[in-house]
Formats: sequence, structure tokens, C-alpha cells
Amino acid sequence: MDELTVGIIGTVLLLCMVFVGVRVYAAAAITGLLGVVAIIGWDAGAGIVGTIPHSKAVNYALSVLPMFILIGFIAYHAGLTHALFNAAKAWFGWVPGGLAVATVFATAGFAAVSGASTATAAVFSRVAIPHMLEQGYSKQLSAGVVAAGGTLASLIPPSAILVIYAIIVEQSVGALILAGFLPGVVSAIIYAILIIGQCMIDPSQGKPVKSPPILVRLKTLPPVTPIVLVVGIIFYSMYSGKATPTEAGALGAFVVFVIAMFRGMKLGNLQEALLETAKLTVMIFALIWGILIFVRFLGFAGLPQAFAEWIVTLPFPPVVIMIMILLGYAVLGMFMDAIGMLLLTLPVVYPAVIALGYDAVWFGIIVVKMCEVCLITPPVGLNCYVVHSVRPDIPLGQVFRGIAPFFGADVATVALFIAFPEIITWLPSLLGAGAN
Amino acid sequence: MAMNDAVDLTPGEERLSRIDEGFFKIESFFNIIAGIVIFLVMFLGVIQVVGRTVFNRPVPSYVDVIEIMMGVFCFLGIAYCQKLGGHVRMEIILKRFKGRTFYGFEIFGTLVAMAIIGILMYYGYTHFLRAFQLGDSTIDGDFILWPSKLLVPFAFSLLMIRLILNLVGFLRLFANPSGVPIAIPVIETVDDQAQHEIHLSGADQEPDDDTIVPQGSAE
Repeated sequence: MDELTVGIIGTVLLLCMVFVGVRVYAAAAITGLLGVVAIIGWDAGAGIVGTIPHSKAVNYALSVLPMFILIGFIAYHAGLTHALFNAAKAWFGWVPGGLAVATVFATAGFAAVSGASTATAAVFSRVAIPHMLEQGYSKQLSAGVVAAGGTLASLIPPSAILVIYAIIVEQSVGALILAGFLPGVVSAIIYAILIIGQCMIDPSQGKPVKSPPILVRLKTLPPVTPIVLVVGIIFYSMYSGKATPTEAGALGAFVVFVIAMFRGMKLGNLQEALLETAKLTVMIFALIWGILIFVRFLGFAGLPQAFAEWIVTLPFPPVVIMIMILLGYAVLGMFMDAIGMLLLTLPVVYPAVIALGYDAVWFGIIVVKMCEVCLITPPVGLNCYVVHSVRPDIPLGQVFRGIAPFFGADVATVALFIAFPEIITWLPSLLGAGAN
Repeated sequence: MAMNDAVDLTPGEERLSRIDEGFFKIESFFNIIAGIVIFLVMFLGVIQVVGRTVFNRPVPSYVDVIEIMMGVFCFLGIAYCQKLGGHVRMEIILKRFKGRTFYGFEIFGTLVAMAIIGILMYYGYTHFLRAFQLGDSTIDGDFILWPSKLLVPFAFSLLMIRLILNLVGFLRLFANPSGVPIAIPVIETVDDQAQHEIHLSGADQEPDDDTIVPQGSAE
């Protein structure tokens, strides 16, 4: 049996285990171990595999992950959500569907301190939906905009999932973090245009609210400065190279922590935030070393190169193959958590994408956007469940109907990114962070 | 787990439940240590940036110190995460099965995890032993490396105990699928997951005072 065959058998074995519910880290690690042992023998193979968890996980570049996660868990106690919604309402409320547009920009702003889509949807279900319903907005639109707005979190920096992508494909973390910003903003603007259009056609969906005088509007700004500060710190650090991503993340977390203290975060809240941060961190690290054991095996088997060589010989233009890959992600994403899906597929898919001539940073943003779209599509569509759980008065079916136009907007956004890759690559290339 | 509160347990079940919850206390202890170390990494990062840019005095061997600390939060919480069902997996097919078939797959998954963790415990230990015997140390700060490497087999041992508890729990349910679920990881439905996210985001708490909208707005 040649090595490539072992590689293919191993990959099939891994997929079977994942399908019947074996935890991904364990399935990947054991397949990797068996594969390496099959190719180079037990002593050498198991010896190599045994060193991987420590040597791959304990790596300074990865220490940014818990920092970004910590920012997210503390941010809920910093009282930023209401401040953001009030500011967005004061400034954007006058357009058709104004409160829904304000919700989009408020969630986009909150995304700057939280990388967690579902939790963002949860918190804005409480903050924004009551206001919208009070003003006679349709339940469908109110629920849809909150579920969709949550998905902005993983593109707008700081985003843990983009860091994971950068590390798995060995690209600059700074470049990915910067690259996510514009596509996140563009996604938000497309959502806003969609809402305005919808409400111009059918004004009963949501009417504008009167803007307060300019002085009152200005007063809504100071409470949102912490967000600007966190974004500023992370951007300036990446831009100037004056701080590493970990240091920038630490500063960001510290700023949010200090504000949360002022806002009266209790010790119990901090303890819970730390427990959750540690739990999510260890989950991600277990996945990382588990997948890296599998990647070591794939390397021995030569599977990624073989797949990449095969895919470039296909008689289709690259863009067709790319669309097929993205459709594959859309299907897979319906059944699996985004981080698990990325780690599981990237070792094989990424070299193929590069062989097709696509940019590494560009693909990272596209694939993360796809993961986000899966958070609002049935059958799982976790964000929709979250909105329904906070507001049981809005039936799940209505949430899914409300999300449908936003799903269409997301498809259009991805098409836009494919047609104009500069939206993604411009910022990192400008700052010399190197999108190569 | 609170799910066995109102149910009469046999003495054996009660013992299993007590072991399960007792061990969860140990797991929680190590997980909060991991959380505290993450918190310290945050402070160290702030000290490093301020020290370097303001006082031109960076933290000596900063990268080495962080990497030593990483050993703690990369591994110590792994059993806690398993107990709470936190490790990623695909449940959509699994959840179509009921009763004995379902628990059969759970037993299979647990055995796979036990096999790989058992092997990694042994080879992680030899990895530590080499570092210990050779006096391996970090490049910059010359810190000894073996304590960090010892954390791997230690954390994996905790996970192994948790997996054994899970196996016992699943075997019990395989024998009697209608029995009380004890000592198995939390299995969240999409609804549970949603509730969990809502709780973490504070969206289930009483609205705080800043829900008040500024005067002059349209309300």
C-alpha cells in the first residue's frame, strides 16, 4: 500500500468517526497517530506524535487566542451594548427602518469587543428588540436583524476565528485581523441598505424615528469611546508593529476589564468569565493539537499536495471550483461548529485553494464569512434559536423568515468579495502586513 | 448535574453520582487556575507594553514567561471541558439515534478518546522525562522546561479519569437505557446551547439602569 492510499483511508476513517459523534480532537489525533505509525513505524511514529501537544500548543503566537476570548466574555459586563444602541439610534434612526439600521451598526460596534456571534445576538435580542417592537416594527424584521447582526462579530476585529485560520495556514495573524475589518463593515452596510430598501417598499415594516437635536446626539458618543479605544489599540498595534497581537489583545482586555469594574462587574461575574474563557481556550487548543497530529500524518502521506495537484487539473475555471468549495462549506456548516469545521477541512482544502491561485488572506475572510452565514441557516442556525429563546413570543419560524433576506444579502456580499477581492486585500497590503 | 435531584437513586448510583460531582470540583479547581493564568497573561501584556514604550524597560524574557504560562491554560482545563461536553463534535447524526444505539456510539467515542489520551499520556510523559533528564530550558530566559511538559501527562490523566467516569456512565445506560443519566458529559440541545449563550451574555439578567434612553430621542 503506498502512502497516498494510507492517507485516503485515514481521511475516510476520520470522517466516519466525526459523523458518529467522536469528539473532533480525539478523532483527528488517533487517525493521525495510526497513520504516522502505518507509514514510519510505531517507535518513531508514536514518539513524534507524543511531542506534538506540548510543542505545537505552547507557542507564543497562539497566546493571543485567550486574550481575544477574554475580551469577549468581560465585554458583556461593561455596559457597552446599551450605549452603542442609543448612539446608533440617535445617529441613524431617521432613515427608513431606522431602529433596525441602528441595530446593525450597534452589533457591528459590539463586534469590536466580542468575537462571539451567538452571544452578540443574545444580548441584542434584549437590548434592541423591545425598542423595535415598541415602535411598531414587524417581529420578523426585528428578529431577523438581530440574528443577522450577530454574525458580524467574527469578521470585525478582534476575531479569534481569524487568528485560528492564520495559525493553521501559517499566515500573518496581523494581516488577517486587519483584513477582516473592511469586509465586516461592508457586510454591515449591505445589511443597512437591505433594511432601508425593505422599509421603503413596505413602510409598515419599520418607520423612521425622529433624530434628537445635535447636542443630544453628540452626548451619546462618549459612552462608546471604549469601543473606539479597543479598535484603535488593535489597529495601531498591527499597523505600527509596536505591539504583538498578544500584547494588543492584553491591552484591549485590560481596557474592557477596567470599564467593567467601573460598571460594577461582580467578582462572581469575573469568575464565570474566567471559567468560560479557560474552557473555550482549552477546547480550541485541544482541537489545534489534535488536528496538527492529523496534519503531520497528511504530510507524510503527501495527501494535500496530491489533492492540490488534482484540483488544478480539473477542466473548470478556478472561480467555479471556488464556488463549489464554498458550497461544500455551506453544507458542512449546517452540521458543525465553525471552528471544528475550519480546522478539519483547511489542511486539505487550503493548499488546493492556493494552487488555484487565490490569496491566502482573501480565502480566510471568505471562509469565515461562510461559517457565519451557517449560523443563520436552518437546520441549526444557532443565532435564530438564540433570538427565539430570548423572545419566546417570536416563533422560530418567524425568526427564520425574518432572516431570509439577510441570507440573500450575505450571498450577494460573498459574490461581491469574489468579484472585488481588493475589498479584503487592500487594507493588509496598504499597511505592509503582507497579504502574500 | 442537577438532573438527578428529584429521582430516587440506588446506593450504587448515589456513589457514582457523588464521585462524579466530587471529581467535577477538582476539575473546576484546575480550570479556574487556567482562567487565573489567562488573567495574569493579560496583566503581563499590559506591563510589557507600558514598560517597553514608556520606560524603555520590557519584561525580561517576556516570550519565555508567556510560553511557560501557556502550558497551564493549554491543558489544565481539558477534563473540565469534557465534563461539560465542551469539546467540538458533530451531533446531528448521533442525535437521530435513541436508547441503546445512541449509548453504543457514545461508548465508542469515549473508547476512542481513552485510546489516544492513554497513548499521549505515556509519550507525553517520556517527552517530559527527556526534558527533565537533559535539563532542557527555554532559549532566552533559561527557564527549566520540564514542569511545563509535565502538565501534559498530568492534565491528560485528569481527562482519563473523567473519560473512565463517562464510560461507566454510558455502560450503565447501555445496559438500561431508561436509567437515570449519571456521570456522562452534558449533552446540550440547540435550545440548551442557546440558553447557555444567553446566560453568558447577561441577556437573562435584569436590565440595568442604562436601558434609559437619552432625553430628546423620539420615545
